[in-house]
Amino acid sequence: MAATTSVDRLAPGDHACLTFSDGEERLDILAAFVAAGLRRGERVLCFTDAVGVDELRAEFVQRGVDAGAELSIVPSDRLWGGGGGPDAATMVELLAVELRHALGQGHAGLRFTADMCWAARPQVNAEQLLVFENEVGRLFEDGLVTAVCEYDRESFDPVTLGYAARVHSRRVAATVYHEDPVLRICRQHVPPGVRVAGELDYTRAQALSEALAEAVRLDMDVHLNLSSLGFIDAGAAAVILRTAAGLPAQRKMIVICGQHVERTLTVAGAADVPALKMLVRQGER
Amino acid sequence: MTGSAPGLPRAGTCPTAFERAFDDSDLHGLRAAVATYVTGIAGADAAETVVLIAHELCSNAVRHGGGSGRIRLWVAGDGEIHCEVTDQGPGLTDPDVGHSLPPPSLPGGRGLWIARNMSELRIVTGATGTTITAVFSR
Repeated sequence: MAATTSVDRLAPGDHACLTFSDGEERLDILAAFVAAGLRRGERVLCFTDAVGVDELRAEFVQRGVDAGAELSIVPSDRLWGGGGGPDAATMVELLAVELRHALGQGHAGLRFTADMCWAARPQVNAEQLLVFENEVGRLFEDGLVTAVCEYDRESFDPVTLGYAARVHSRRVAATVYHEDPVLRICRQHVPPGVRVAGELDYTRAQALSEALAEAVRLDMDVHLNLSSLGFIDAGAAAVILRTAAGLPAQRKMIVICGQHVERTLTVAGAADVPALKMLVRQGER
Repeated sequence: MTGSAPGLPRAGTCPTAFERAFDDSDLHGLRAAVATYVTGIAGADAAETVVLIAHELCSNAVRHGGGSGRIRLWVAGDGEIHCEVTDQGPGLTDPDVGHSLPPPSLPGGRGLWIARNMSELRIVTGATGTTITAVFSR
């Protein structure tokens, strides 16, 4: 079974799988993975499917990733040349060519992400996924290729997910501070801070308080992503206000949230906390 | 408690009211049930607000009002949504609580402030319990 690691601990030569159910978590981990590759001077390729090409680029930019010329975002069908159906040998060959190009252009290596949801479509020969994940393994032997293969839990059956976990040398997962059926609190990598999804009330405010305390220790500005938070009450809002109000001068807390959460924080007194900035994402909750 | 709870629905004003007992074991489930009820009669935006008000009143009852209570919701003839929360706790020491916003450094005291901001509160409190009715105009 692959060892589970946080995305910032992936090393060149790692072939990792990311099994996710929260779209925000996927985007955060991809952004951190891409940013690390750009810092290393690697060529970075994103084969995207469920998230559109422009949408993914916009998400990276919004998260502060410098999405310049070293980063290519393309639809996942480019992996097999666009025509025909997915073919494992074609895909591995294409990646080998990309690696040669990257090294020829002076890059430190090749880094790619691939949304594997194409393999879950009924018209696709699912065997190609298994062949691909096995065959692509040889590309990683020299430590010049690093990859994250994305598996949406909604799209794949447990047998395939189990297989994916076995053929990858690493399993990337979010650092989880708290998880129950109602609420999930994770470390956010890019921008650094905390991400909260679900519903948050006073009964779980202590878990938020502890997660924020770590972010205050680790990060200059604390980014609190509440865009997947459906409900917040006065008790939990107080934790956010108190943490922001306690930040040393020059430091800020940036909260991203939907309009209902923003309204609750505002009524709870956000305007009295100069260190707290709120960014409202329309259409989200 | 003094007198009967105010704002009881008059005959014919509300064909289907919502009523439920609660304690600290399932505030999440209570919020979901309130959201379903209010969305059905007044839409999702009104539901977001009424769920927050109901949660604050019920969580006050759980924390300060003896640990449990009953919640009733109904729509009055003028379309206002009434949310009545009753507990059998020791009563509010200050029925005017929540008229001002505590400073950010204080952990509590915002629940009734939020409820007062988003609705009109009627509070009846005494040594044997408290009934708070929030009236929300769409």
